[in-house]
Amino acid sequence: MKEERSRKNCPAETAGGVCSPFQKLSGYLSTIENLPKLYAICVCLIAIFGLCSVPFISYEEDQLYPKSLDPSSSLDPYDRGGVPFTEPAVIIAQYPENAPALGYVTAYLTPLSQLLADYTLHLGTTIVAHPGGILDEILYYTRGFDTIVEASILFCAFWIAAYLYRRSKE
Amino acid sequence: MESILVTIPFGDMIHYLSGYTVILFAFAAMFILLAVISLPEKPVDIVFGTDGYTLKETPKDLSRFQRFMAAACGIATIGAIVTGDIFNFTLFAAFIGVLNIGIIAGVKNTHVLSAGFSYGLVVMMGTVPLFAGAAIIAASTGTLSIWELAAAGGVPLVAKLLLLIGVLGEGMAPFYIGKAEITRASGAPYILMIHVSSLLLFLRVVEILMTV
Repeated sequence: MKEERSRKNCPAETAGGVCSPFQKLSGYLSTIENLPKLYAICVCLIAIFGLCSVPFISYEEDQLYPKSLDPSSSLDPYDRGGVPFTEPAVIIAQYPENAPALGYVTAYLTPLSQLLADYTLHLGTTIVAHPGGILDEILYYTRGFDTIVEASILFCAFWIAAYLYRRSKE
Repeated sequence: MESILVTIPFGDMIHYLSGYTVILFAFAAMFILLAVISLPEKPVDIVFGTDGYTLKETPKDLSRFQRFMAAACGIATIGAIVTGDIFNFTLFAAFIGVLNIGIIAGVKNTHVLSAGFSYGLVVMMGTVPLFAGAAIIAASTGTLSIWELAAAGGVPLVAKLLLLIGVLGEGMAPFYIGKAEITRASGAPYILMIHVSSLLLFLRVVEILMTV
C-alpha cells in the first residue's frame, strides 16, 4: 500500500525512469503518515541542541513565585503566613495592578481543615485531597485565566470524545 | 478599551494590542461570524458518463457540533492573538490543536480521519516543546509577560526554537486536512477555520519571537 503510494507520487519511476532527489523528497512529504515521524525528528534535534546549550542558560535567581520550606509548619510547602481577611499573606503577583486583594484569603481554612492542621503536620501535602484546604491564590487569582483555559481544553476534549462515543452507540 | 478588557478579575488577563494584532483580531472575528452564520455544504457527486448525481446531506447534529467547534476555535485564536502572556499563549495554542481535531472528528471519511489521526499525533508531540519553551522562558528570565520580555530581552535561543516548533506542530493542520480540495472537503465550510487559526497562530508566534 505504502509502496504503491510512493510510486504513484513519482511518475518518472512508474514509467521506468529514475526519480530526482527532489521528487523523492516531495513524494515522501506528501504521504501524511510520514509527517509525525519527521516532526518527531525535528523536536529531537532541537531537544539535543537545547541540552547542549544548558550551560549557557542562566537561572534567574529572583523568581516570581518564591517558595520557603518550614518543616515545623503543618501547612509546610504552602505556608505563606497572613491572617484571613485582615492581614495579607506574602504572595508576589506577576501583574500586581490586576490583583488588588491579593493574599487575603489564602490563609483561610475551614473548621475541619483547621482541626487537621492543629493535630497533624501533613495538611500541606493533602491540599488537593480534601475540600476546604488552602486556597491557592497563585493558581486561582494571580493566574486565574490559565485555570479557565485549561478547564476549557479539557471540556472540549471530553465533548469530542462524548459526541463520537454516543454516535457510535446509535 | 483597557477598562473593558480587564474588568473580569483574573490576574493574568493581559492584552497585547498593537496595530498588527488588532488587524489579526478583526480577521479572526470576521471568520467566527462566517462560521456561525454559514450552513453546511452539500457535496454533489456526478456519476460519470450519465446524468445521475448523488447529494450528500450533513446530519443536523454533526453540523451543529462542527459549527460550535469552529466558533470555539476562532475564539481560541483571538485569545492567542491578543494575549500578552507567554503561558496563556501556549495554552491557547494547545486549545486550537484540540479544537482543530474536533472540527474534523465527526466526518465519516477514512482519508480525513486518518489524516486527523496523524495530526493528533503531531499535536500531542507539539505540546511538549510548546510548554517546555514557556517553562525555560519563565526559569531564565523570571517573567512571562511579553511586555516585560520586550523591554528586557534575554530569552535564550533554545526557548524560542522550542516555542516555534511547538506552534509548528499545533498549526500543521493545513498540511493534512484540506490539501487542494480545501473548500470542497468534507466538513466544509467549517474546515476553513482550521486554516485560519493555523495561519493566525503562525503570524502571532513570529511577532512574539521578534519582540522578545
